[in-house]
Amino acid sequence: MSLIEVKDVVKRYDRHTALDHVSLNVGEGEVYGLLGPNGAGKTTLIRILNQIINQDEGEVLLDGRPLTPADVMHMGYLPEERGLYKKMKVIDQIEFIGRLKGMSKRDARSAARAWIDKLGLSEWTNKKIEALSKGMAQKVQFISTVVHRPKLLIFDEPFSGFDPVNVEQLKREILELNSEGATILFSTHNMASVEEICKEITLIDRSHAVLQGDVYSIRQRFKKNLFRITIAEPVLAPNDALYTINSLSLNMAGGCDAVVALAPGVTMRDTIAFLNERYSILGFEEILPSMHEIFIETVTKEHE
Amino acid sequence: MNNNRLFLVMQREYYAIVAKKSFIISTILVPFLVLLIGVVPVLLAQFNSSEEAETVTIIDSSGKFAQAFEDTEDYHFVYISTDRVEPVEELHERYGDSYALITIPADVAVTKKVPVYSDDALRMSLMTQIEDVLGGRLSQEKIESYGIPEFEQMVKDSHIEVDVDALTWDNEVSSTMLASVVGIVLAFIIYVFVLMFGAMIMASVVEDKTNRIVEVIVSSCRPIELMMGKIVGVALVGLTQIAIWAVLLGAGMVILSLCGLVPDTSSVVAPGMPAGVDAMPKVDSDMVKILQMVMSVNWIQLLGMFVIYFIGGYLLYAALFAGFGSAVDQQSDTAQFTTPVMMIIVFALLIGESCMENPNGQLGVWCSIIPFTSPIVMMTRLPYDVPLWQMLTSIGVLYGCAVMFTYFAARIYRNGILRYGKKVSYMEMFKWLK
Repeated sequence: MSLIEVKDVVKRYDRHTALDHVSLNVGEGEVYGLLGPNGAGKTTLIRILNQIINQDEGEVLLDGRPLTPADVMHMGYLPEERGLYKKMKVIDQIEFIGRLKGMSKRDARSAARAWIDKLGLSEWTNKKIEALSKGMAQKVQFISTVVHRPKLLIFDEPFSGFDPVNVEQLKREILELNSEGATILFSTHNMASVEEICKEITLIDRSHAVLQGDVYSIRQRFKKNLFRITIAEPVLAPNDALYTINSLSLNMAGGCDAVVALAPGVTMRDTIAFLNERYSILGFEEILPSMHEIFIETVTKEHE
Repeated sequence: MNNNRLFLVMQREYYAIVAKKSFIISTILVPFLVLLIGVVPVLLAQFNSSEEAETVTIIDSSGKFAQAFEDTEDYHFVYISTDRVEPVEELHERYGDSYALITIPADVAVTKKVPVYSDDALRMSLMTQIEDVLGGRLSQEKIESYGIPEFEQMVKDSHIEVDVDALTWDNEVSSTMLASVVGIVLAFIIYVFVLMFGAMIMASVVEDKTNRIVEVIVSSCRPIELMMGKIVGVALVGLTQIAIWAVLLGAGMVILSLCGLVPDTSSVVAPGMPAGVDAMPKVDSDMVKILQMVMSVNWIQLLGMFVIYFIGGYLLYAALFAGFGSAVDQQSDTAQFTTPVMMIIVFALLIGESCMENPNGQLGVWCSIIPFTSPIVMMTRLPYDVPLWQMLTSIGVLYGCAVMFTYFAARIYRNGILRYGKKVSYMEMFKWLK
């Protein structure tokens, strides 16, 4: 069952079309990735979902019903351009956003406290935002996004501006929220995190959705029949009938790492059987293209 | 519009501004400065009078005014009797040390001219004293010269002052003077506060943009709620400030009067003016007159209209400032839009002043109906019996426009708050209205 259905949405600005008939479905409880180069239209789509702006054509359904202004109460949004009221205290800031999202004063405050403790900001509870480091301010921003336990969380570049330790913590928190039932939509350039946590993605380029589907099948679809072979011997001899060697390098153990492309019609099984008679095979694995490569390949192809 | 969210935004806005240092400082400083401005002249007057008396030399060639001048706190008179006429240079050499030299010619009764020499411009107080003393003596002498018994009394009785009692047909004492002064003062208050609050709203809108918080907020509440929350919040801040000012000023006046430092009109307006014998009853009748004047002003109408125009004018300009504020990224870019608005307000104030002269002229009538100028211009016209239809039209147009502008401003705001980078032109803003 889809939580969000975006159907043929078009958004035009003065001189350009930001979204051109974009459709996508986000299933309930999923972690959904919205990828794309800068200026592709991701933020526009996210703002439409948040009802900050309206689409010119098409429709957006939430739980099968057209989106209404009241629905934003069940959404949490972390924009790419982060911002907080600099003069407000950490706890007041979170409480304010929580109450804007319809929480009672008491609920907002106690939820804020719980999150502050959880992310290790306890001693900053009553400090003003301007006294915080950038990383801490980002955490406060994250808390303001999730404090009202929304069923849909929208993160625009959530990991930018965090150090690696905090990125891990944030990822953990996001996945925990997801396991508690929240649907998560996030846009990012960080492809490693896409492979790690997204189930499905949409790649938007130049206002169009150019690639859609679940991460596993997309990677399968883009694979080049490449394998990484590690053997104990220092050299792998060429064999055009079975494979072509793309690269060959000596490894630290004195053996050799090779990347090969199997010839058409040749199976893994045949290759392994052939190699097994001549070499000691230490490793044999299929190379799936990373989302990073797929991203670049797709976008470059689109631009040609 | 969701009232709960509107209230939240308003509340936050209120506390954010009230907690600012600049707000706290101006709230305390302004009454203090006002009191200071009131007290300084009094203190200065006291300071001046504590100085040693200046010596004033009198050469009386007529020999008639021997002891006419009595020493005062400020002046000590030295009397020299001589009938020699000396050139000015010599007089300067001999009496240059005195503060002033009064030379009374022998034929003063005929010439009615008394040369007085001093290093620099003669003080007002001394001049008045000389005129009073010599004039009094000379006219008394003249009266006596007629030789008519009790003539002096006759002259006194014949001196008649006529007071103009300006009455309206309903037989009330009217005083357009006071009312128009009150009118222009109220107009000025509207002018100052609309500008001040407008600037506050604009600053707050721009601050949200520079902070980048605005995107989070508008994903939780509608832009119009945010904008109205700000407008109402700032208005409440303003009211708080006015209330604190009133209390502080009142308290300050009480404290000062206990210390005997309240600016006393007679001493401030004309320090050193010799108190005439008949000054007291005159003050009393002045007081009665002032009271009558105060009573004659239609306070209920004037203040009632003040509140109506203040709110209407505020809403109109607040919407403008909020709309313009949303179109810029940085405080420094606001001038492009504020300058025309300021010019309109200053223009209105100028028209208002000219209306005191000609309250029912074409310009005044039109400008008190056009919403941008009406709050200020109408306030100055009110004391001069503005026809009811003009008042109603003016108020209707003002509030209608305020609502319309709030609607337009909300549209500009919606588009403007998420726009960064490029400067927005008027043309672009006009497109957002559609």
